[in-house]
Amino acid sequence: MRKFAPYVLKSLWRHRARTVLTVSGTAVALLVFCFIGSVQRGLARLTSSEEADRTLIVFQESRFCPQSSRLPQDYARTIADTPGVSDVIPIKVFTNNCRASLDAIVFQGMAAHKLEAWRDLTLTSGDWSAYEGQDDAALVGEAVANRRGLAAGDKFTIGGVSVVVRGVFHSPVAADNNLIYTHLDFLQRARGADGVGTVTLHEVKLTDGADPDAVAKRLDQAFESGPVATTTRTKGMYQADTLADLAELIGFVHWLGYACVGLVLSLVATTTVMSVQDRIKEHAVLQTLGLRPQRVFSLVVLESLVLSTLGGVLGVAASALLLAGAGMSIAAEGVTIAFEPSAMLALQGLLVAVAVGLVAGLAPGWQAARMEIVAALRHA
Amino acid sequence: MPLVEVNDVTKQYASGEETIRPLDGVSLSVEKGDFVSLMGASGSGKSTLLNLIAGIDRVTSGQIVVDGVDTTKLSRGKLADWRAEHIGYVFQTHNLVPVLTAYENVELPLLLLPMSAAERRKRVGIALEAVDLTPRASHYPRQMSGGQEQRVGIARAIVANPTLIVADEPTGSLDDETTEQILSLLERVNSELGMTLLLVTHDAQAGARARRRVRLERGRLVENRTQAPAPLRTA
Repeated sequence: MRKFAPYVLKSLWRHRARTVLTVSGTAVALLVFCFIGSVQRGLARLTSSEEADRTLIVFQESRFCPQSSRLPQDYARTIADTPGVSDVIPIKVFTNNCRASLDAIVFQGMAAHKLEAWRDLTLTSGDWSAYEGQDDAALVGEAVANRRGLAAGDKFTIGGVSVVVRGVFHSPVAADNNLIYTHLDFLQRARGADGVGTVTLHEVKLTDGADPDAVAKRLDQAFESGPVATTTRTKGMYQADTLADLAELIGFVHWLGYACVGLVLSLVATTTVMSVQDRIKEHAVLQTLGLRPQRVFSLVVLESLVLSTLGGVLGVAASALLLAGAGMSIAAEGVTIAFEPSAMLALQGLLVAVAVGLVAGLAPGWQAARMEIVAALRHA
Repeated sequence: MPLVEVNDVTKQYASGEETIRPLDGVSLSVEKGDFVSLMGASGSGKSTLLNLIAGIDRVTSGQIVVDGVDTTKLSRGKLADWRAEHIGYVFQTHNLVPVLTAYENVELPLLLLPMSAAERRKRVGIALEAVDLTPRASHYPRQMSGGQEQRVGIARAIVANPTLIVADEPTGSLDDETTEQILSLLERVNSELGMTLLLVTHDAQAGARARRRVRLERGRLVENRTQAPAPLRTA
């Protein structure tokens, strides 16, 4: 078949406009497919990682938006004394938009030593000691920095919170790259004095072997009769509950991914059918020269495969560039889902393109291989 | 032993409720190295007979043996392999692959045979030289005249050194001067390369160039005689 590769490529080149349209259509469909895959992956990573299962979130009972959860900061002492708890991080969360948004900014205020201990951050610019030593300093996730064009030394104000960027960080947890960390006491005071002494949530680290459900139950019982009742869940459950509406939407959107596959299939199949119908006589000539019907079938399938794979490569490459460069995310109620590109997703996209190319070529290939040579030679 | 033996071959097919029989019990033998013209009016069955001998159509009954192989018994795939090795087909309308250059068109049949790239280059070079088109090797069909295209078609037919060359009205769409060039070329293929040649034509002058003339009428063979070939003319 390798010997016939120039023939296949030249045949595609002969109908450049048709080829370009098909390849670009396939590329766009694969780009959408990868975008959908990346947001699904981001959601899955948030709700099913090991950290999500071994960390508890203590939130105010019956509250969802971070703005409405106001827990006493000193709950941390009670939590820390609870069996099964290894550490507790009081966190103040502020977001400029509680609803689902593609450009929500989420601040998390926490003590600097806790941030250093519990978040796996690598500063790509800026300086940790400058952050530690300045009250209104902020560490900005690289996705936010890319999106907003922020760099160390910049000052910016969002939703009434003004900070100075003292570092841009990269986190292996893609969602964290969409956060802005500040000092806890700064964020508590940032929007008035009434926030002092209260936090949005307490993040609880468990000891090895501790049962998350049992600890959660103990914590909620401990605060049942306190000034503010709590709901404690694993971080995964908290994020899944918070993002429930969005997750449902993302679940629905995955059907669009399948629709993209169907679109590529029909696009490539249509082009290949047209190509075969244009070349009925040419295929008959090839068979007269001695090409086996199976080989004609293979040539047609190869054409379809080249179209689909080329579109797939372009679509996957474009999606990888866009996703990596734009730092896209979607957030709701202070929880962020990063559009997470990955080699596996790229491979999946390419495999889909290849598989679709093969399937799309089957019917036209069969049609080309089964024709009667003499009748086809009479074809105009 | 004849190179081609056609034994009581009938071809028929249904067209609506009517049964069409373009060939009806035809028998014919062609010796190795012979130059035979198949003549007759339109619808006489001459192209059908040629296509059956070339293995691109199937007999309804009868037997065709070429170089000891009963081609009517071969499967579709095996028949394709057999054509690649044994048949050189010259079409009326050239039927070159438009996206390939003259060189690549001539090389096509060789891609189907076990042959090194160097051997292919050598053979294509010789074939193009034989039809005097070496300077046009990199030209596409659209960049050539009808006569040049047909010469490329002849080069493609002879390049694999087949057992039998079949030509279906190869001058049917050409002017007189080009017709003469093509016929002379086919005569040389037969006389100089020793290839057996079956030529379908309805043109009496073209048919007269063959050593043997076979005439068909309404699917039956009505004349089969050896003739003194018409003198070679210089184009």
